[in-house]
Amino acid sequence: MASHPVVVIGAGPAGLTTAYELGKNGVSSLILEAGKQVGGISQTVNYRDFRFDIGGHRFFSKVPMVNDLWHEILGDNFLLRPRISRIYYNNKFFDYPLKATNALAGLGPVEALLVGFSYAKTKMFPSPNEDNFEQWVINRFGTRLYRIFFKTYTEKVWGIPCSEISADWAAQRIKNLSLKEAVLNALLGARDGKIVTSLIEEFHYPRFGPGMMWERCEELVEGLGSQTLKGIKVERIHHRHGRVESVSGRISSGERVNFEGSHFVSTMPLRELIGAMDPQPPEKVVQAAQGLRYRDYLTVVLVVNREDVFPDNWIYIHSPEVKMGRMQNYKNWSPYMVPDPSRTSLGLEYFLWDKDEEWTWSNDRLIDFGTRECAQIGLINPEDVEDGTVVRMEKAYPVYDHQYQDNVQTVRQFLETFSNFQTIGRNGLHRYNNQDHSMVTGVYAAGNIMGETNDVWAVNTEKEYHEEGRGAPSKAGDRMVPTRVQVNVENALSGDEEEIIEFVFARLDPVALGVAVGTVIGLVIFMATLVLVLKGGSVVGPGLALLGNYLIGFEVTWSGSLVGLVEGGLGGFAIGYVSASLRNWGMTTYAHYMRWRGEVIRRRNLLDKV
Amino acid sequence: METGQKTKEELSRTVANIQAGVLAFVGGVIGGLGLFIMTAWLLLEGGPHVGSHLQLLSNYFIGYSVTWPGSVIGLLYGALTGGVLGWTIGFIYNKVVGIRGG
Repeated sequence: MASHPVVVIGAGPAGLTTAYELGKNGVSSLILEAGKQVGGISQTVNYRDFRFDIGGHRFFSKVPMVNDLWHEILGDNFLLRPRISRIYYNNKFFDYPLKATNALAGLGPVEALLVGFSYAKTKMFPSPNEDNFEQWVINRFGTRLYRIFFKTYTEKVWGIPCSEISADWAAQRIKNLSLKEAVLNALLGARDGKIVTSLIEEFHYPRFGPGMMWERCEELVEGLGSQTLKGIKVERIHHRHGRVESVSGRISSGERVNFEGSHFVSTMPLRELIGAMDPQPPEKVVQAAQGLRYRDYLTVVLVVNREDVFPDNWIYIHSPEVKMGRMQNYKNWSPYMVPDPSRTSLGLEYFLWDKDEEWTWSNDRLIDFGTRECAQIGLINPEDVEDGTVVRMEKAYPVYDHQYQDNVQTVRQFLETFSNFQTIGRNGLHRYNNQDHSMVTGVYAAGNIMGETNDVWAVNTEKEYHEEGRGAPSKAGDRMVPTRVQVNVENALSGDEEEIIEFVFARLDPVALGVAVGTVIGLVIFMATLVLVLKGGSVVGPGLALLGNYLIGFEVTWSGSLVGLVEGGLGGFAIGYVSASLRNWGMTTYAHYMRWRGEVIRRRNLLDKV
Repeated sequence: METGQKTKEELSRTVANIQAGVLAFVGGVIGGLGLFIMTAWLLLEGGPHVGSHLQLLSNYFIGYSVTWPGSVIGLLYGALTGGVLGWTIGFIYNKVVGIRGG
């Protein structure tokens, strides 16, 4: 049996990116995909020429390397689309991101007042702990806004109370700005602020949906000498002496197939992966993997005989009376997503556990259910629904509960004992990465195979990576040693910028300035007094003597000059000290204000990140 | 206290040095132009006793008076004095920072 240089498990964005990067460097891969289609959760499903996306993928990345890759793969097949989205809550639609006048009108004056009070109260008495998502949001928006605009939807998506969602999930999705970044954004035209704002208002989208990207990538990868095998679900990963030797699975006919390789890259969910290891890992690792939870996702697609249903790309459904979490209008993402402009295809998104009864319902039952829910909130007339289909996506979202970090750490430590095996992508790292970060992990995995030392686990933990930050070639032989490499990061300051900020915001030493100003003022008064005393006259220095109003005991005499020296010096010290302190405080306050403003902009689209 | 220090250091770990030459220049410009403008202002206002208080500076600046030629002399004196004071403040500040910084 032939041994492949690299075997990649999963043809989603991470796996295909790995193969693509390797292919460009002359290394061929074998890609094993369990489904019938490439793209993973970023695939575009085609149902009677109605195309639909699994969740809605806006193409925007703060990682330049990813933007370059997208355009390298898909050329100019991107559309720039306006973003329109609303929240449906309490029988009303609210613009999202929230707009003050629209929100006030929707909530009514009494509720708006209560929201204001709630916000003020939270700001005065914030929760000292931010261990969970509920506390995190309340500390930023107030309890009432949290209940209206975040709680229901978030709990629909994740299926657990917000108080059980780890706060670092929010922190990962809404990264804090450092003071320096905030200042630099302000000084250099709000680099990130503009990016975030533009992302809120418009986005890029492939003409025929995100799957177009990955279908094209598959073609390119195959052109570079790699092979994609679909319909092969990997069931066993055979390893020995710290190396994976082969993987095996079944094809649709049930026949067992085995693939040997030199390097292996997996995007399988960690829970499944550990379960597939042969021999089995230590019990502690198995237990940790089994403790990882995933949220499943189901889209009911309705084909509606109406040209326009609503103008939004998507609507968040916050109302608890329906189970639907979000509704997509695919032709508003791209007009090419429907074959007939007189029809509209809607995607009703349900977030479920695979043990929920809805997960097992037939397609017809789900289509009926979805149609009724749509009618219930007044968006369509059930008679307009002509057709429909259902797409189920298992393990679409890795759950960030309170135990996940410990469990992932245990699994990771075990996986890092292998010298020729890497896990990448959203499920391969159990990290709620977007497509772009998954791609970065793919690029890094490819780099590691070619001798670099990149830590794929560090992607999207604190900062976005730049291409320049990739690790240097390893000198560790064929054993890869994942190390946390020193990287340049998105929004990080360049050396020059760092120097500028250090220089501009360098602190004045209040004591030193106090001593300097005090010495000068004391000496000036001392010498000014002496000059007049030496000059003499009938009335010595009547003008300067007026300083006696402020300097106790001062007069234009020899002894008065010493009083002026001491008291002027003390006064000058106070002036210098206070001036330096005020200047330092002003600079810091300015930086804090800029950071606050930057973070408000970032939080504007919090729901998009749920 | 510790948090405040951390915030300061997050922004910049550097304690500024003052460029004594630059501060001398700034002091000189402010001092020179300041005295020139003050003198000129009183001259333009006019009156029976023009600038009797400002005139007291002649105790220190020999040749200075509240007249147009005096305003030019004041410009030079002001610039010189401002420059010396600015430089001295910068010099002493830097010395103290150096001593305190070890």
